[in-house]
Amino acid sequence: MANGYSHIRAYVEPLILLVVLLFVWQFGLELLQVPHFILPTPVQIAQAFFTPSIDWLRNTWVTFSEALAGFATGTIVGVGLAVVIVESKLLRRLLTPYIVTAQVLPKVAVAPIIYIILGFNDVSRIFLVFLLVFFPILINMATGLTDVDTNLIHLLKSLGAGELTVFLKVRLPNSLPYLFDGLKISATGAMVGAIVAEFVSSSAGLGFIILNSQYTFNTSLAFASFIILIVVGLFLYEVVELSGRLAMPWFQRR
Amino acid sequence: MVPEAIESPNSVLRVEHVSKTYTTISRESVLALDDVSLDIRENEVLTVIGPSGCGKSTLLRLIAGLEEPTSGTIERQDGRAPFRVGFMFQDASLMRWRTIYDNVKLPLEVLGKKDEGEIVRLLKMVQLTGFERKYPFELSGGMQRRVAMARALVHKPSILLLDEPLTGVDELTKEALQAELMQIIRAINVTAVHVTHDIDQAVYFSDRVLVMSARPGKIIGEIDVQLPRERKLSLRTEQAFYDYCKRLRQALRLPTD
Repeated sequence: MANGYSHIRAYVEPLILLVVLLFVWQFGLELLQVPHFILPTPVQIAQAFFTPSIDWLRNTWVTFSEALAGFATGTIVGVGLAVVIVESKLLRRLLTPYIVTAQVLPKVAVAPIIYIILGFNDVSRIFLVFLLVFFPILINMATGLTDVDTNLIHLLKSLGAGELTVFLKVRLPNSLPYLFDGLKISATGAMVGAIVAEFVSSSAGLGFIILNSQYTFNTSLAFASFIILIVVGLFLYEVVELSGRLAMPWFQRR
Repeated sequence: MVPEAIESPNSVLRVEHVSKTYTTISRESVLALDDVSLDIRENEVLTVIGPSGCGKSTLLRLIAGLEEPTSGTIERQDGRAPFRVGFMFQDASLMRWRTIYDNVKLPLEVLGKKDEGEIVRLLKMVQLTGFERKYPFELSGGMQRRVAMARALVHKPSILLLDEPLTGVDELTKEALQAELMQIIRAINVTAVHVTHDIDQAVYFSDRVLVMSARPGKIIGEIDVQLPRERKLSLRTEQAFYDYCKRLRQALRLPTD
């Protein structure tokens, strides 16, 4: 019972704080007569969701689908590259400097040029998300493939197993917890990537709305977008978390 | 005293004048084993004891065929089945993503064999019947070691290799596990090579102990342990057990008074 109660408390207490903060926010701004375009009140933000000219569902989907497509590409390429650089010394030597170079280059800096090279379309936006998310997946996956119990490798090899068997029976399953750690970092990064891409060029999406709310001084639209971004970000993170738990019932954090 | 490899009709494996040199990253040559000869007889437990870094583990890897000697030969006798080793390590070294049953099954799987009956039999021997569907994290440290025992034996190895097994287990659990492991070794009559730096465990497990010097590893002594073949837990309280421990300390050139 004590446990059940503390479980509920973990949700209730922050919610009470939220309600208090919203009240302070609302009445504080009214009292100080802060103009709407500097900081909107919670009520104004709520009203922003009912702005007739904005299709929130469609714009959310635009940003979400860019993030998802980039995330998927990043996962496939990240995992694939990790396998390649772990299994081949030659390719590791050849590719590592380029992979690191791609990572140290600030993605925001190259974003405008990506559009020139790949065109002002979704491909560029997805590519930008991909650039931002593939690295944590690659690094974590590569670590998971190498950071194995050498005893297990000795055990398999003493029974005549080859590299492929070692890879399939030891390295690959061993890498799963590491992969999911990488996926969690990248899932949140994917939303960042999509917004950055939309800031540089877009005709729809939450990044587009935020940018336009700045031009039109309609800040409550930006705040409404933030709320959606938080919800979508949490959703994506939870999906990864849940898939991890389903894929690895054997996993307990040490 | 350097024992020569003795001609013995029932030897399972013979190591003759084996030396092993490693090249370090800084390109220095390190002699890990220096002219080691030994003969492993059928159904005996042979312990190689020596200080850390004396090349004991190197010797096991050579026996397992994971490495080749720099010089000398290792002769493996195929018995009724091809020569195979079973491994028990310092840690349980289980696959945490596999159930207990699938962990024990691993050697059979790698060899492309099926022997459900042997898995069930060994799980029963290590008293883990009913835990087949559990994952390693759900078991205590001692239970995990018993899974490792079953896995080391499931494919009926020609030699069981014990690489400082039961390291890091608390003393009381360790004595129980030693007794259990010894009982199983005797019950299925498996030949075993055991490397350790634990004097008590060396005497408890062995029919014969070879003493190794610090690097480069060289065999500097041999002691026949003529204690009853069945090793009871109470053996430790007997005078004969103490006497062997003392002789072993002397052979290791450790103070005995």
